[in-house]
Amino acid sequence: MRPAIFSAILLLAGCRGRQNALDFASDQSSAIGDVWHLMLVVCGVMYLLMMLLLGWAIWRALKARAASHDARTAAPGVDRKWRAALAAWSALIVLGLFVLAGGSFLVDRRLARGEDPNALQVRITASEWWWQVEYLDPAPSHTIVTANELHLPVDRPTHVELRSNDVIHSFWVPNLNGKTDLIPGRSNFQTLTPRRTGRWRGQCAEFCGLEHARMAMDVTVHDAAGFAEWQAAQRALAKAPDTPRRTEGQHVFMTSTCASCHTIAGTDASGKVGPDLTHLASRHSLAAGALPLDAKTLAAWISQPHAEKPGTNMPATDLPPDRLGALVDYLMSLR
Amino acid sequence: MAACIALTLGGCEREKRDFTGPQPPGGPAPPLVGLQPGTPSPVPPDPRGARYENNAYHIGQGQNLFRWMNCNGCHANGGGDAGPALMDGEWRYGGDIDHIYASIDQGRPNGMPSFRGKIPPEQIWQLAAYVRSLSGNIRKDAVPSRSEGMSATPPLTRRESEPPKGGDPAPNQEPQR
Amino acid sequence: MRQGAGRVARALLLVAGASFMPVLAQEAGVQEKGEWPMPAHDLASTRYSPLDEITAANAGKLKVAFTFSTGVDRGQEAAPIVVDSTMYIVSPYPNIVYALDLTREGAPVKWSFRPQPDAAAQGVACCDVVNRGAVVAGGKLFFNTLDGQTIALDVATGKQAWRTKLGDINRGETMTMAPLVVKDKVLVGNSGGEFGVRGWLTALDTATGKLVWRAYSTGPDKDVLIGPSFKPFYASDKGKDLGMTTWPPEAWKTGGGSVWGWISYDPESNLVFYGTANPGPWNAEQRPGDNKWTAGIFARDVDTGEARWFYQFSPHDLYDYDAINENVLVDLPIDGTTRKVIVRPERNGYVYVIDRASGEVLSADPFSPVNSTLGIDLETGRPRYNPDKQPRMGKVVRDICPTAPGAKDWNPSAWSPDTGLLYIPHANLCMDWESMQANYIAGTPYVGAEVRMYAGPGGHRGVLTAWDPVRRRIAWEIKEDLPVWSGTVVTRGGVVFYGTMDGWFKAVDAKDGKPLWKFKTGSGIIGQPVSYRGPDGHQYVAVLSGVGGWAGAIVAGNLDPRDGTAAKGMVNATTDLKQKTQPGGTLYVFALP
Repeated sequence: MRPAIFSAILLLAGCRGRQNALDFASDQSSAIGDVWHLMLVVCGVMYLLMMLLLGWAIWRALKARAASHDARTAAPGVDRKWRAALAAWSALIVLGLFVLAGGSFLVDRRLARGEDPNALQVRITASEWWWQVEYLDPAPSHTIVTANELHLPVDRPTHVELRSNDVIHSFWVPNLNGKTDLIPGRSNFQTLTPRRTGRWRGQCAEFCGLEHARMAMDVTVHDAAGFAEWQAAQRALAKAPDTPRRTEGQHVFMTSTCASCHTIAGTDASGKVGPDLTHLASRHSLAAGALPLDAKTLAAWISQPHAEKPGTNMPATDLPPDRLGALVDYLMSLR
Repeated sequence: MAACIALTLGGCEREKRDFTGPQPPGGPAPPLVGLQPGTPSPVPPDPRGARYENNAYHIGQGQNLFRWMNCNGCHANGGGDAGPALMDGEWRYGGDIDHIYASIDQGRPNGMPSFRGKIPPEQIWQLAAYVRSLSGNIRKDAVPSRSEGMSATPPLTRRESEPPKGGDPAPNQEPQR
Repeated sequence: MRQGAGRVARALLLVAGASFMPVLAQEAGVQEKGEWPMPAHDLASTRYSPLDEITAANAGKLKVAFTFSTGVDRGQEAAPIVVDSTMYIVSPYPNIVYALDLTREGAPVKWSFRPQPDAAAQGVACCDVVNRGAVVAGGKLFFNTLDGQTIALDVATGKQAWRTKLGDINRGETMTMAPLVVKDKVLVGNSGGEFGVRGWLTALDTATGKLVWRAYSTGPDKDVLIGPSFKPFYASDKGKDLGMTTWPPEAWKTGGGSVWGWISYDPESNLVFYGTANPGPWNAEQRPGDNKWTAGIFARDVDTGEARWFYQFSPHDLYDYDAINENVLVDLPIDGTTRKVIVRPERNGYVYVIDRASGEVLSADPFSPVNSTLGIDLETGRPRYNPDKQPRMGKVVRDICPTAPGAKDWNPSAWSPDTGLLYIPHANLCMDWESMQANYIAGTPYVGAEVRMYAGPGGHRGVLTAWDPVRRRIAWEIKEDLPVWSGTVVTRGGVVFYGTMDGWFKAVDAKDGKPLWKFKTGSGIIGQPVSYRGPDGHQYVAVLSGVGGWAGAIVAGNLDPRDGTAAKGMVNATTDLKQKTQPGGTLYVFALP
C-alpha cells in the first residue's frame, strides 16, 4: 500500500508547481492544456485498446495451440470477419489522427489570434544572460524599464514582443504559455492572459551560451489594484540617498565603472548595456534568478561575478570594502 | 589520428576562458617615445598582454565592448571618425598591446578620453586585444569571425596583417607568442 | 557719368525687385559700405552682396588679389568677415582669430588672438574641429571656441573684452556655430547632438558676457521658455511640457536638439528664428514619441527668449535630420498677396516656405531625390514617413535618400532679390542604415546606428540648384562629381560663387547657371564665400580653402577608406577624396585686374 501511495504522490507532484507546464494559470496555457488532455485521452484510449487486443490475440493463440495442432484451416466466414475488423481498426486510427490534428489546429489558431486592443504591451529583449523588460505606453513618458522580472495583471491580455540583442534565446513560462524564440533581427510575439494571481518561474529554453541554464524569468501576476500599485512604483525615479553612507554609495556608483553600463533613473547614470537598476531592491533575485538578492550576495556579485555565474558579462569590480559596503547599501535602498 | 588529437588540443588554448577576480585600476605604462639618452635599455612587454592577445574569448569580448563602450562612435569599425583609424599600420602612440592599453587607460592629448576607473582593467585588456585584431595583427584562429553590424569592411578573419609602421614615436614591443 | 548711370541702374533694380525685398531696414549702412559684418551678411540671412562691379560679363577675368595661410590644416567652414576695411577670420581648432588690414598691400595681420581652447575638446567634436566664423558689431568681435566658450574681442586692439564658459566637454558639448548679434545681445548655441547633450540657445549681454536668457530645446516648458505667448500653428505642437512628455522618462536630458546652425532676426516682429538639431540617439527606437522640441524651428522674442511659435520638420526623427539650416527671411508674392515668409532648404530634401508670423507651412517641395518621406501633409504639418525605409534595430535598410547629413547640410544658400532664386549648394547621396542599441556614457558618442553612404540617382554626388520658391520648382542645376559642401554668395552683378570639395572656386551666371570662371585653390572648399568692397572701392570675393568637416573627414582625419562606416558612413561616399585633395587652410581673395 505504501509504495502505491508514494508513487501516487510522486506522480501527482508533476501536476502543480511554480514552473510547471501542467499547472495552467493562463488562457494560453489552458488552451495548450486542452490539446494535452485531448492527446492524452485519444492516445490513451488507443493504447488501451491496442493492449487489450494484443492480450486477447495472445490468449487466443495460446488457447488454439493448446486445443489442436491441425486446426489450421479457418472457417470460411472468418476471413471476412478479419478483413472487416482490420478496416474498422484502420478507420478508428484515421479518426483518432484527425481528432488530434483538428484539436491541435483549433488551439493553434486560438493562440495565434490577433492583438487585443486592450492588451498591455510589453517588450522583452534578451541578452546573454538576462532579460530586459519594457512596458510600452502610448504616452512615452510612462514607459517602464526593468530586468529579469515580468509583472502582469490578472484577467487582462498582455502582448509580449520578443527580441534579442545577440544570439537566439527562447522565452518560456510553462504555467502561462509555450516556448517562443527570440531571434536577433526580428520580433516574435506571445500573448499571455493569466487567470490566477501568484508567482511563476520561466526560463530561457534555447541554448544561448555558457550561462543559458541560469537565465530565469520571475513572473508575478497581480490583481488590478496590485498591478497599478507596482506600475506607479516603477514609474517613480530612483529613491534619493537619505543617509551619508548611501550618498557615498551613490557617489561610488557614479564615479566608478558602474555608470558606464547601468541606468539609475533620476541620476546621471544612463548606461544601457546592463540591466536597469532604478528599482533593483524591489526585485526577488539577482543575476536573472541565479542568486537571491541581499546585501551579501550583491557585494559578492559586484566583486566576484565569475564566482557566481562564470562567463557573465558583468565585470569584476575592484572596490575597497568600505566603498563596496556603501555602494551596496545605496543599491539595496533602491526599492 | 594523432594529428587530429594534436589539432584539437591545440585549439583549446585559443578558447580557454580564465575568469579572474577584480584587478586594481592601472596597467602597463610603457614609455611613449623610443628616444633614450645614452645606451637604450629595452622595456619588456607586460606578460599579461600575451594572455589576452591569443585568446578568442577575450578578443570576442573586446569586440562586444568596442560597441558597448562607444569606441565605434569615434573609431567606427576601424576606419576612424573623430578618432584616428585603427585598422592601418599608422599609430601615434604605439600599436602594440601595451601601448594600446595605456592609450585607453590614460587617454591621449587631442581627444582620446581616459577610461581608467570607467572600464575595469580586464575589459581594457580585452579592448586592446580587439583593437590589435583590427589591423590584422592577431592570429586568424583567435579573431572573431562574426560581426554584429552591416558588412562594410573586410572581415577580421581576412584582414591582411599591418604591423605598426615607422614614423610612430612610440617604441614597438614585440608581442609574445 | 558712370557713377550716375550706376545709381540709376541700382534704383531700377530696387524697384524691379520690390516684391522680393529682403529685410534690410537695419543694415542700410552696411549696404552702402559694402561690408560683410556677419557670416549671413545680414540679419535676414540673404548672403546677397549689393556690389555689382563683378558681372557675368567680366567675371572670367577674376584674378587672385592676395592669399593668407591660417596655419591650421583642418576643415575651414568660416566666412571671412569684413568691417571697416579689416577682415576677420576664425580658424578651426585652436580657433585663432586673425585681423587682416585691408588698407595695406597684401593685407598683413593687424593682430591675432589665440584663445587656447582645451585640446581634449577635439575628442568630442563629431564632425571635424570646425568653426563657422565670427560676427562683428559695436566695435567688438564675437566668436565661439571648440571647448564651449564665447569670447568677445575689441576689434581695434584684438584684446579680450570678456570670455564666458558655456559648454562642458565632459558631457560632450562643444561650440562650432557663428554667433548672431541682435541689439545688445549675442546669441550662441551648443553642439553635441551625437554625444547626448541637451541643446540650448543662450543670449549673452554684448557688453559684459553675462547670461541674459537661455532656452533649452528639451525638457519642461519653463526651461524651454514656453509661456503664455506661445502660439504654435499645428495641433501636435500644442500641449503642456511636451519637451518631457514626448520622450521616454529622463531621455530628454540626453535628447539633443543642439543649436549649432543659423539664426535670423526680423526687426519688425522682434523675433529670432533658428532651428534645433537631431534628437539623440540616432536609434529612434530608444526614444518613442515626437521628441519635442528637436528637429524643428523656433521663433522667439529676442529680448526675453520667450517662444512665439515652433514647427517640427521631423517629429520622431529617424535619419539625423538636424533642422539647423539657414532661415532666409523674404517677402514673397504667394497666391496674389505678399507674404512675409521664411524660406528654408531643409535637410530632409524639401524647400519649406513658412509664414514668419504664425509658423504655418505654406509649401514644402523636394529639391533633391527623396524617399525617406512620401510628402509633407500640409493639414497637420507632419511628414509622411515611408514605412519601407524605416530603420529597425538589427536590420539593414537600404537606399534611403536623402542621407543623414541631408540633401543639404549646414552650408548655406544665398538669395538674390534680382533673380528671385535661392542658390542651394547641396549633395546627392543615399545611404544604408542599421540601427543598434546605443549606450550612454557622458562624453562619448551616443548614436546607435551604422551608416554607409553612396552617390544618389544619377551618380553625381553634388549639385548647385537654383530654386524658385514662388513657382516652387528648380530653375537650373549644375551637377558636380563631389558633394558640394561650400556656402554660396550671390551678387547684384548677377554672379553666384561656390566651391567644390576638390578645391575649385567657381563663378556662374545667376540667371542660368552658365559657368563664368573657376580657380583651383590649394585644398577642397567647404567654407562660406563672401564679397565686399575694399578700401580702394573695388569688389573683392573671399573664401577659405581647406577640406574637412563631416564631408571631408577622410582627408582631414586621414581615415581608412576600407571601412565604409567610417565617419558615420561618409567615407564610403568619398573614398576617392584623398586622391583629389589634401588638407589645407588658406584664405583666397579675388578681384578684377
